[in-house]
Amino acid sequence: MFSKNKKVDRLLTFYLPLTMMLSFTIFPVYWTLNTAFKPEGDIVQRPLQYLPINPTVENFAMAWNNVGFAVFMKNSLIVGISTVVVVLICSTLSGYALARFEFKGKRAFLLMLLCTQFIPRSMMIIPLFVIFKNLGLISNPLALIITYTAIEIPFTTILMSGFIKNVPKELEEAALIDGCTKLQSLRFVVFPLLLPGIVATAVFTFIYTWNEFLIALMLTNQQSKFTLPVGLSTMMGEFNVNYGALAAGSIIALVPAVILFAYAQKHLVNGMGGAVKG
Amino acid sequence: MINRKSAILSYFVILILFLMGCSSEKHSSPKSPEQDEQVTLTFWYDNAGVHRTAVWENLIEKFEKKYPHINIEYEGFLKDSAKSKFDAAIAIGNGPDVASLYTSWLPEYTSRDALLPLDTQFTEWGEREKINPDTIAFNRSMIEDGRLYGIPYSQNLDVLWVRKDWLEQSNLSSPKTWDDFFKTVEALTDKEKNRYGYSIRGGAGSSFQLQRMMYAYSGISDYLIDGKSTIDNPLHIEFLKKYFALYRNYTPISDITNDYSSMLEEFDNNNVGMIQHNIGSFGQHSKFLSPDEFMVIPLPESIDGHYVVEDGNTMNFSIFKQTEHPEEAWTFLSFLASQEAQSYWNKEVGQMPTHADVFEEQWAKEAPHLQTALQVYTDPETKFFEPPFYLTDYTTIRTTLVEPGIQEVLSGNKTVEEFLEEWSTVIEETYGRYEEYKVHTNRH
Amino acid sequence: MSYSQEVNEPALKINKAVQKKRFTKKKLIPYLFILPSFLFIMGFLFYPIAMVFYYSVQHYDISAPYYNRFAGLENFVQIFTQDKLFFPSLLNSLKWVVSEVGLQLVFGMILALLLNQTFKFRGMIRAVAFVPWAISGVLASVMWSLMFNEHMGVLNDLLMKIGLINEPMAFLANTSTAFGAVVIAELWRGIPFFAITLLAGLQSIPNELYEAARVDGANRWKTFIYVTLPQLKNTIILTTLLRVVWEFNNVDLLFNLTGGGPAHSTTTLTMYIAELAVHGSNFGYGSALTVISFGILLVFAILYLRLSRYEKE
Repeated sequence: MFSKNKKVDRLLTFYLPLTMMLSFTIFPVYWTLNTAFKPEGDIVQRPLQYLPINPTVENFAMAWNNVGFAVFMKNSLIVGISTVVVVLICSTLSGYALARFEFKGKRAFLLMLLCTQFIPRSMMIIPLFVIFKNLGLISNPLALIITYTAIEIPFTTILMSGFIKNVPKELEEAALIDGCTKLQSLRFVVFPLLLPGIVATAVFTFIYTWNEFLIALMLTNQQSKFTLPVGLSTMMGEFNVNYGALAAGSIIALVPAVILFAYAQKHLVNGMGGAVKG
Repeated sequence: MINRKSAILSYFVILILFLMGCSSEKHSSPKSPEQDEQVTLTFWYDNAGVHRTAVWENLIEKFEKKYPHINIEYEGFLKDSAKSKFDAAIAIGNGPDVASLYTSWLPEYTSRDALLPLDTQFTEWGEREKINPDTIAFNRSMIEDGRLYGIPYSQNLDVLWVRKDWLEQSNLSSPKTWDDFFKTVEALTDKEKNRYGYSIRGGAGSSFQLQRMMYAYSGISDYLIDGKSTIDNPLHIEFLKKYFALYRNYTPISDITNDYSSMLEEFDNNNVGMIQHNIGSFGQHSKFLSPDEFMVIPLPESIDGHYVVEDGNTMNFSIFKQTEHPEEAWTFLSFLASQEAQSYWNKEVGQMPTHADVFEEQWAKEAPHLQTALQVYTDPETKFFEPPFYLTDYTTIRTTLVEPGIQEVLSGNKTVEEFLEEWSTVIEETYGRYEEYKVHTNRH
Repeated sequence: MSYSQEVNEPALKINKAVQKKRFTKKKLIPYLFILPSFLFIMGFLFYPIAMVFYYSVQHYDISAPYYNRFAGLENFVQIFTQDKLFFPSLLNSLKWVVSEVGLQLVFGMILALLLNQTFKFRGMIRAVAFVPWAISGVLASVMWSLMFNEHMGVLNDLLMKIGLINEPMAFLANTSTAFGAVVIAELWRGIPFFAITLLAGLQSIPNELYEAARVDGANRWKTFIYVTLPQLKNTIILTTLLRVVWEFNNVDLLFNLTGGGPAHSTTTLTMYIAELAVHGSNFGYGSALTVISFGILLVFAILYLRLSRYEKE
């Protein structure tokens, strides 16, 4: 009797709400997948098909070959990975400074980080355009890497400093006594302990660059330099929106991010834990 | 001391002259055999999509075979963001060499000193007489200095696309007058069958389509008379009241946010019986519907009994001023405007060429949408109204004031009278400022 | 004595010099550490922001350069006295931020509590639950506009099957439903971020606290109120603050799903600014609006941190 009650309780307080939350999460993805596997005519056909009656991979082939998703994917990877590397270096250093030192201007620096978040990105496009024109970097992936790095540094710095605070200072001091330099202690003692935080920062940054649209749209002119979201939007141009190919393109764009998540979700939770606990 | 100073100075002067001499020599020496030098030009197109990009790339491939020393770099933009890309590029002097521009953009970009006048090259061009002289004259008339800044390569016209099979099922003939138009919309609506008679474009781009409808109805061909706008003319009020009364009753509710692609979708997916769009969507309709299922007809003649059409509904090739290779840019431009290129492009895209010889080609004679457009454009009674493209913020007024205004009226937050009055007031104010500015600069 | 003093004095001097040198070097270290970040921010964020402030007192229209001149406070006066869209869009921003952050917090908390329990395939299910966070605005817009569609949308189909509606609704085209529809789509994308940070916070709560609560006979609700929530306080404050700022400035879905329409019913202040920046060309006016929204966020952030007593027990 007791165990039956417990089961009902578990069902009502755990399985039911979890199923509801997950259905809300999964449904749009399922519907996109469903659309991606339908031939063009079937998508608008009524009654709606909840599973494709004539499944096809045509749409994927179309997106990959004709639209050039292979190139977009490559560009997105280049921009994403480079940004992650630069952001990690900068934010680890500045996060360390915030976590471990008291220095003049610390509050001002923090305030500066916060203020950068207050301006809508759309207003920064023309000034950025001027900067990169003068640097000769329009349509160059470097322009995106630089901009994304600048945009990501404020948040990732706060993230990293939160995480570094959680690494016991005594460990570091012990390393210093053992004759390590400051940088060495950072490299051999702090860094390994920071790994979950670093993974979280990397994932956070990568997801941002992978998804950013407006700046990439405005700073790139050549199709051969488009990132995935910009490439995806070219499929919505002109007259007819080919929903099947668009859905297939969306799925292609989604796969690397999902793989990254599946791999990193544990670190992500641990890393964020260090940062937000403060 | 002075001697020493002047000696050093003269030494530097000589050094600088020497270096300059060297460098200018270096620059000029490889330039002399001009054919050997590879030139790269950038070409911008403002309504890129998978299909049109392929069309341009085919043309470019042909061109590069013909002129191996010129490379063309194609850069296509999305319709919605293209204008802002051009704007930003011009603001910082970073435009392309050659671009396709709407006629309505030409006055703004010439006033911002972005484009190269093409009069000389055009008069020397072998095919110049083939290009529709009206379109050339119009392009000149719009610009204050009267020069030619864009060579038209494609003309467009707003028409009605109608479901032929639906008309036949209801025993209706295609609408010839505005009364017919409204009656047909009502008759084609059958909500039981999920059929609506019409679809209004209420989202992005709604303003210029609506404007063409208004003038086609009223028969008015002056946009401004002595600084007073005809936008709020009683005939336009009368028309809009009837036209917007169709919304929800005979059209889908989502019309209020419909952009062109969703509007075309409604038509091609058997949801609506009639839409107003330009001839360029012919290809799209033929992809989804058979020739027995749809037809194209002109917008009805006005209540005065003649067609009224917006002037300058053309697309042009222009050369940007900062190009380093104006000659090669013209070579490319004249190739794109030639019969061969115009024929291929307009056939693929479904628009009307400006080159007279293309109309003699078989495909053009058989294309119903081209014939309809030709019928309207060549009718001696047809009148043209000319929107004030020369007001440089004309586009901004349309997108930030008129288009949200249309949605306000459709959702019942604003009356037709309020909306038209607001619209015409802003046009008049901007026009006044423009006149003031003209007087002001002439005085200097 | 005197001898030794004479010998020692130079040595002392050297020692002091070394110390001083070390001291300045040590003082420099934090600045060296923040230098790369500082340079990136100054060069590529600060300059654009400074431009916005500069242009807010100018008439600057890139499509009509001949109107350009110094404007003083004219732009601001116009915003407060003549702009018919300013206050409605500000109100929409408020509605947008409150509903997004509020709902994301509630549902994010529920999801985090669920995912914090032990069950089979936990890693995989967590990964699935976090997926919407990894989906771009463009992509999410595609997905949701497919589902919201009046004619072929699956939501209409489902609602009609259940019998909740009799005829298809145009969710995004109706002034009374458009806002809610975009809120739901953005909610879908926003819950995971809260869930991740809250889950992280939950995991760092010491188990002893729960044990103690159980011994005291507290039920689930009381445990949540008296143990979990206080422990999550700093996490919640920081996450909601960041989220308020981000959601205030977030227009991805609004831009792609409704474009601020119909009839401005989904135009938030940031959406209004984006529209001016992308479609209009009046950069001066847009800058003035941006300065105002900057001020609002700054005041909010300071007040929020003060009033919530962040990092204070």
